[in-house]
Amino acid sequence: MTALDPQDRFLALLEEHDKILYKVASSYCRNPEDRRDLIQEIVVQLWRSFGKFDDSYRFSTWMYRIAINVAISFYRSQSRRTRDTVPVEESILEIADPGAAEDSDNIRLLHHFIGQMDELNRALMILYLDGNSYDTIAEILGISTTNVATKISRIKERLRRDFAGA
Amino acid sequence: MELQDMKDRWNEYDRKLEANLRLNTQVLRELALNRVGSSLKWLSRKIVFELLIDLVAILALGAFTANHLGEPRFLVPALALDLFVIGFVAWSIRQWAEIGSLDYGESIVTIQRKLELLKIDRIRMTKWVLLLSPLLWIPLLIVTLKGLGGLDAYAIFPARWLAANLLLGLAVIPLMLWVSKRYADRMQGSPLVRGLVNALADRSLNDATRFLGTLSSFEKENG
Repeated sequence: MTALDPQDRFLALLEEHDKILYKVASSYCRNPEDRRDLIQEIVVQLWRSFGKFDDSYRFSTWMYRIAINVAISFYRSQSRRTRDTVPVEESILEIADPGAAEDSDNIRLLHHFIGQMDELNRALMILYLDGNSYDTIAEILGISTTNVATKISRIKERLRRDFAGA
Repeated sequence: MELQDMKDRWNEYDRKLEANLRLNTQVLRELALNRVGSSLKWLSRKIVFELLIDLVAILALGAFTANHLGEPRFLVPALALDLFVIGFVAWSIRQWAEIGSLDYGESIVTIQRKLELLKIDRIRMTKWVLLLSPLLWIPLLIVTLKGLGGLDAYAIFPARWLAANLLLGLAVIPLMLWVSKRYADRMQGSPLVRGLVNALADRSLNDATRFLGTLSSFEKENG
């Protein structure tokens, strides 16, 4: 059996976890063009860091860290460095039926709720909603597990208060 | 609404993405990932470019200084410029090394803090360069005229004129600070001008410091 070329291996892992890419980018950028640039920036950073990826860790945990770090930087950047993105006609991620994936009231409310949070709590929310354990969330964010639990509990209260009738 | 409702919506979103999302590996292969620059790579390239220019300046100033060791009227302005460029080079090398050591695979709080400190360092450097520039233009004029054209600025321009310009440079510094703070809102046109004005007016610095505070508060359990 021959070992996979690093780029092939990277693409296979990326394909397996492509939803992380889209969910993170969508949570930080609602504008489709910015989102496309952000996805490209995340993929480039993932590839540049791939050499440092330790196989003993879960790929998804490592991918969340890089994707969220890039997304927060992108979100905070006041001037988009468009000259650094390669103008590609097609998107790296294609959605067969964008309407079905994004245009329901449920999904809109979800994005509205996430969009009201600051950059860091948004990261916490994505990780929580995606089913990660408190320990994993703590590891990705770099805070303690009890801190994660405290913050989730506050978000629960806020949700009850701000979206009482929804 | 309960958080569980949000989770159910997220799971619905997940299922829809599962059915609709496809990674375009063909585009990724054509993109030639190794050659595409990220924002940090762009900044790193910019710093290397600045370093190359500074290196040329140091060599030229070094040669000029060596040729005028016995002439304080040329030596002093050349040394002032030398000091400025060397300080700038040391600062740039430190930033370049910090960018190179960044590992995006580290935790969010760690990387965001490192990036913000890097940003603060860069803003401070920009501010110092802008503030010192009005003071350095007379030494630059003296050295450039002598070095490139063999002309003696002290003979061309009256001593009073040179002194007045040095004083004007000093007076311009508080004026620059006042204008940037007073009119920062109106000077947000091009990204370059915006960046310079915001650095002078401490807006970028305040924003970065605020985010560092947010990071610290996020790390605290009661934050």
